[in-house]
Amino acid sequence: MAHFILKRLIQSVFVMLAVAFLAFSLFRFVGDPISQMTGVETSVQDQDRLREELGLNDPFVVQFYRFTTDMLRGDFGYSYRTRQPVGDMIASRIPATLELGIVALLISLIVGIPSGVYTALRPRGIATQAILMTTLVGVSIPTFVIGIALIFLFGVQLGWLPTFGRGGTVDLGGWTTSFLTVDGWRALILPAITLGVYQLTLTMRLVRAEMMEVMRSDYIRFATARGIPYRSLHYRHALANTMVPVITIIGLQFGGVIAFSIVTESVFQWPGMGLLFLESIRFVDIPVMGVYLVVIAFFFVLVNMAVDLLYLAIDPRLRVKEAA
Amino acid sequence: MTPFSLWRTSALVGTLLLGTHAAQAETFRWASATDPQTMDPHAVSSAPVLSFLNNVYEGLVRRDRDMSIEGSLAESWEPLADEDGWRFKLRQGVTFADGAEFTAEDVLFSYQRASSEESDVRSWFAPVTEVRVVDDFTVDFITSAPNPLFPDSIANFMILDKGWAEANDAALPARDAENFATINVNGTGPFMVQSRDPGVQTVLVPNPNWWGEVEHNVTEGIFTPIGNPATGLAALLSGEIDFIQPIPLQDAVQVEERDGYKVLEGEETRVIMFGFGHEHDTLLYSSDVTDANPFSDVRVRQAAAHAINMDAIDRVLFRGKIEAASQLVPAGISGYSDAHADGIPYNPERAKELLTEAGYPDGFSFGLKCTNDRYINDEALCRAAASMFAAVGLDAQLSTGPVRDYWPQLREDDFDMFLLGWSPGTFDVEHPVRFLLHSQDDEKKLGSWNFGNYSNARIDELLPMIQQEIDPAKRQAMVDEIVQISQDEVAYIPLYTQPLIWAAKQGVDLTQRADNFFLLRWVTVN
Repeated sequence: MAHFILKRLIQSVFVMLAVAFLAFSLFRFVGDPISQMTGVETSVQDQDRLREELGLNDPFVVQFYRFTTDMLRGDFGYSYRTRQPVGDMIASRIPATLELGIVALLISLIVGIPSGVYTALRPRGIATQAILMTTLVGVSIPTFVIGIALIFLFGVQLGWLPTFGRGGTVDLGGWTTSFLTVDGWRALILPAITLGVYQLTLTMRLVRAEMMEVMRSDYIRFATARGIPYRSLHYRHALANTMVPVITIIGLQFGGVIAFSIVTESVFQWPGMGLLFLESIRFVDIPVMGVYLVVIAFFFVLVNMAVDLLYLAIDPRLRVKEAA
Repeated sequence: MTPFSLWRTSALVGTLLLGTHAAQAETFRWASATDPQTMDPHAVSSAPVLSFLNNVYEGLVRRDRDMSIEGSLAESWEPLADEDGWRFKLRQGVTFADGAEFTAEDVLFSYQRASSEESDVRSWFAPVTEVRVVDDFTVDFITSAPNPLFPDSIANFMILDKGWAEANDAALPARDAENFATINVNGTGPFMVQSRDPGVQTVLVPNPNWWGEVEHNVTEGIFTPIGNPATGLAALLSGEIDFIQPIPLQDAVQVEERDGYKVLEGEETRVIMFGFGHEHDTLLYSSDVTDANPFSDVRVRQAAAHAINMDAIDRVLFRGKIEAASQLVPAGISGYSDAHADGIPYNPERAKELLTEAGYPDGFSFGLKCTNDRYINDEALCRAAASMFAAVGLDAQLSTGPVRDYWPQLREDDFDMFLLGWSPGTFDVEHPVRFLLHSQDDEKKLGSWNFGNYSNARIDELLPMIQQEIDPAKRQAMVDEIVQISQDEVAYIPLYTQPLIWAAKQGVDLTQRADNFFLLRWVTVN
């Protein structure tokens, strides 16, 4: 087990280096940070001096080497835009994104799993057709349209929920949470639904497909023949076997929710990492963009590893293979 | 009852309930698209920073509602008698938010800080050779030549407390790392920063020790940056914010039609124009003319100007909210030439004649570069202009992009014709002449935004003269000459003055200043 984790960790470092390298080589096409950092009256000489000071004239390889070695030493550099340490900026935005992601994922599970089971057990029912149609619409409408529609309905027309920001937060020693205030929960609802809709559809369709597959398998048929009550059959035997692959996908979805919260965060002015990343693109804030992408890669790596470990725990055959 | 009328009724009930203490001072919430990058007034010379910090820091002089210069930390100023420069008499009894007294030493210190290599506002002090503290409340700014514009040019030069900055290691602006002044504020202004969460929220509260007369009734000002225009509009219409600047032009109608909201419209001092690659030998993006640059012929430039139908652009793209421009500054800016208020009129027939005279009877194709995120409707404007050019035979190959890689392209001469907007930071015509009309001169820091390197010896000769001339009539005569030359030669095609569109709740009174700055001290919430 330790050997497995170690191997995965070493692989992860290469994954993150590759992400950093790709990101860094793309940044050269994002635009000129200097013209975004200075006012119109800054002379060309002053701009050139700043470019030199920031090391932007160095060859790409040198800049990349400096970026990675600084990162490995725990030095994330300073933002070009705000001059704050990038590590602090990202750290202060992580709670907002994680909390949004967790709630979005919970919504997708709490709604997605039961409706997946329901539509699998009654594949020809009217309610099933209605659910499938609705989710198809939900998955085809772009996230930002869903977000803006929710804002205009529940925020502007009905005035029930806030349209932007995190509302009231409580600072728990460096972690600002929305979970402890009513205001915070109110602000969380619309963005979490917006972010969760797509995942919800995926979860539901996956559960449905797996469940239908399991229901067709021999042991369910024999169990049915033996006269095991339907209730126990569906929810104990079938659902339990359905959930193994579903858990894997959910793990991966969580990584996706974090990474793709950018759109939702922009629509709701949600002060998370995604919004920070968007602002950074606008201002060609290369250090922030670089660190963000590496952090996101790190999230994916962590989640993947957790999923693999889960597999290992569930499926004994894999453990044998690893040991061999 | 429809949801909408339900919502209105409950809003009405809310107003009645609140009515008992509506006359009292209020919390005021506002939003804008960009968060100020820093709280350091000398680190970044950008409009979001300077606009925001004018609420908490003050300079020697400041601009009033109509943009005129008035005293702030200086009570009076006059030209020095025996040398070139200005003497400022400082206001006495002013304290910084932390209680420290304001004196001439703070002015000298702030000058040194703002003119240091690390500063982004040092160009304001390029003419200054020395600053002398005469006594505790008198400071002399010595300039290398007579400089009638100097007081106007330092309206956004903000004064820091020497002791505070030095005690906190912020004696110089931080360029590539943060320092204490990046997030902390200690000014003499009408408001103080109570809390700052960059990119999320900044809270201002009135400075109880402010020297000025309080005209506002704001007890707390909460600023939130909202980057997405649709989100900003929703926040206003749901009542979560009281005011937003700016809103997209196409949303103005929606706000106007809604009870309880209003749109504030004004004219910014920014003139939108097309520029040419004057000194290019050949066109870069032409499919038919590859051995010459037709735009070096004044007749072709005139033809391009004649091709633009400003009325149609105004009507279709801007809902009648723009004012056509004839010069690089709009009317009302000091130095605007009344004698040349008429620009080149829309006349497609004349445009075709001019092209034929210039040897291009069938026109030619060329590349037009435009931004798509910098000016109001910039991309749509360029599309409209391209079709107008096409009507006279000028086949514009339009390419648009975000501003973050637009300036580098222009600096690398990668254009045949380009879009540019210019707002004179000093509110004087000298500013665009210096940046856009004077020949490029890196040594003297002139013509730095003159991408096409338009060059005219007489304009180069006149610039230092208008910088130094004290007599308004003589100066205006020289400015008129510059405008005449630039119009005759079609150095640029000035199009229109960009409108300012802000939106607020009905009960909010505020002042829309032509530089797009928003000042909390002019806000009253009813």
